[in-house]
Amino acid sequence: MKSSSNYQHLYVVVEHEDGMPVPVSLEMLGEARRLMDGFNKKYSSDEKVVAVVLGHNVRKLCEELIFYGADVVICVDSPELQHMRNLIDTKVISQIARSRELVAKFSNASEFIKPRYMFFAADSIGRHMSSTVLAELESGLASDINKLVISDLEIKHEHKTKGQSMKYEKTLEMYRPDFSGFLWTTILCLDNRNPANEREYHPQACSIIPGVFAQIERDTSRRGAIVEYVPKFDEKDLRVRVLDRKIVKSAVDFDSHKAVVSFGKGVKDSPEQNIKLVAELAKEIEAEVGISLPISKKPFSVSESTNSNYMIPDRVVGTSGRKVAPLLYIAVGISGAMQHIAGMKESGFIVAINPDENSPIKDECDVFIKGRMEDVIPLLLEELRKQRPTIEVKK
Amino acid sequence: MTATTTTTNDLNVAVIVKLEPDFSEGNVSYNADGTLNRAETKSILGPHSAIASNAAFYAKVKYGARVAVGTMGPPIAESALQQAQLLCDADELHLYSDRIFAGADTLATAEVLRAGISKVEGGKVDVVFSGHRASDGETGQTGPQTAWKLGYTFLGNVVDYNVDLESRLVRAKRLISLQGFYDIIEEVEAPLPVFISIDPSYKAFFNTVSQRLAFEKYQKEAKLRAENYKQFLKVLNTQQLGIDPKLVGLPGSPTIVYKVERIPKAKASRKAEVIDGANREQIARVVSNMYEALGGMVIK
Repeated sequence: MKSSSNYQHLYVVVEHEDGMPVPVSLEMLGEARRLMDGFNKKYSSDEKVVAVVLGHNVRKLCEELIFYGADVVICVDSPELQHMRNLIDTKVISQIARSRELVAKFSNASEFIKPRYMFFAADSIGRHMSSTVLAELESGLASDINKLVISDLEIKHEHKTKGQSMKYEKTLEMYRPDFSGFLWTTILCLDNRNPANEREYHPQACSIIPGVFAQIERDTSRRGAIVEYVPKFDEKDLRVRVLDRKIVKSAVDFDSHKAVVSFGKGVKDSPEQNIKLVAELAKEIEAEVGISLPISKKPFSVSESTNSNYMIPDRVVGTSGRKVAPLLYIAVGISGAMQHIAGMKESGFIVAINPDENSPIKDECDVFIKGRMEDVIPLLLEELRKQRPTIEVKK
Repeated sequence: MTATTTTTNDLNVAVIVKLEPDFSEGNVSYNADGTLNRAETKSILGPHSAIASNAAFYAKVKYGARVAVGTMGPPIAESALQQAQLLCDADELHLYSDRIFAGADTLATAEVLRAGISKVEGGKVDVVFSGHRASDGETGQTGPQTAWKLGYTFLGNVVDYNVDLESRLVRAKRLISLQGFYDIIEEVEAPLPVFISIDPSYKAFFNTVSQRLAFEKYQKEAKLRAENYKQFLKVLNTQQLGIDPKLVGLPGSPTIVYKVERIPKAKASRKAEVIDGANREQIARVVSNMYEALGGMVIK
């Protein structure tokens, strides 16, 4: 077995738009800071949080990242890297991950081979970037992580350890909520120690769900190093050309509405009619309509217009969709999986409509209306119309 | 690995698909604790695989492309190939099946798919399509990792694409959502071969009369072919695919599932008042609270 200094530091691949960091980038740095502070204390070591930035005119951003928790920022500044392109970015990030010269600029790199850990964002850019980078680095990747722990684990695995019990130090436990939102799966990236097929797998890498981890408070007294890297481009690595970029607004607009009405699997008894009821309720209070994650998998057959209007990923509230915080949130027929709660718990006043008093949503709302939506919503509509403010005084 | 492509005006496309649990009502079964009951749940061609198949059919209708569909899985995964054939009128169906593929993570799966696609049309596939993500695993990693291993340019979240057969260029529109930021529609151009993962919002449009006629012709053909799908089916194992067994299945997987647990219930963050949904008076009070929350005032 090789010594552990072959694999050092935690690299965070930062995403930004024209130098403005995407929020998840700062969240990843925050979690990286907390993890590595604990790591260095526990193992009496001095491994770094290394932010990796690709872009053009990004010097200012690099300085900011230090205030948000990075010890080192590896900065690649080139007009060719202005917009994220999977092919060239994967090549550059992989070069960086393998560069001993870079590491030598901020720590002892004599035995360095690759990073110990690596973080990416679980969004449209990072999901694919993490996949291709880890295919290039030939190591393991877990997606959509919302909890991370570093620990020494006793592992007994059919293949990895050939059924023997073995200790794996400094292992990153990567927790991901499954599609139901009720189960947590812990993924590990482990070296093969099976004598039939010994192999080292580093970095241990994951993509991180936006909006889960807290960024650390910006601290301008924090110090760190910015290391410039000049990448080697091959003409054929630049073969994708960006012709045009347009900013678009989603047809679903949670932000400018004061209220959100979301529905979940509870519409199942008569989906078409119940979704219409929910829509009517939303219209009455000028709310945007949200859904829980399972609805986006189109579990019911409904009319084409209901399907394409409502059962779409854009409407998902939760860690797999949007985070919302309206003044009023109404959850209709939603049981309250953690992944949904995380997307709406900051709302002002929360009302749940549900026949089952044991649903987890009960612990996350201000008013729990016990009953079937078929019965409750018409009553609500009636009262809403009766009490409709004649004069609305805006705050 | 160097990617090769055809030099004529022909277009060869491949689709990789997956057999997944059917999450539709009546077919899906949940345990009492809200988790999926896999034993009782039926399997179908995954919804994102279906969209990828539609994108391949577009290539058939518009460019007369030859289409191959591949999947990794046990023999039962044939049914995913059959369902995909019905959607895209596939000329070939490939099932990559071997006991040693079991337990694969995304990297080990990508190795099998890489080898599989290299076998199609003598390795001369111009465009490979995959779905956005599987509805059970949900990683979205297998497509891009297969692309990388093939040495193909990867284009993700593609909502629209066209191929220029003369210049061998693809033009595609990609939908990029950055959480907490705006969305971006990006138009890109790349030389063949490319690997496209199709965005869930993709829809094919056929504008001209000749395209509509071709659409109907191939749709009829697809129905006939899918009824006799076994005639189009090839089953390939490790040896036939020429794969190093150390790179697939458990041996080729860097990651393992260490444990699965129920997500612990968070401490109640709010103290709910429970209202009887049939009690008009109580409902009236809730409505008044709702208006208050919205910042309005009721003037009587």
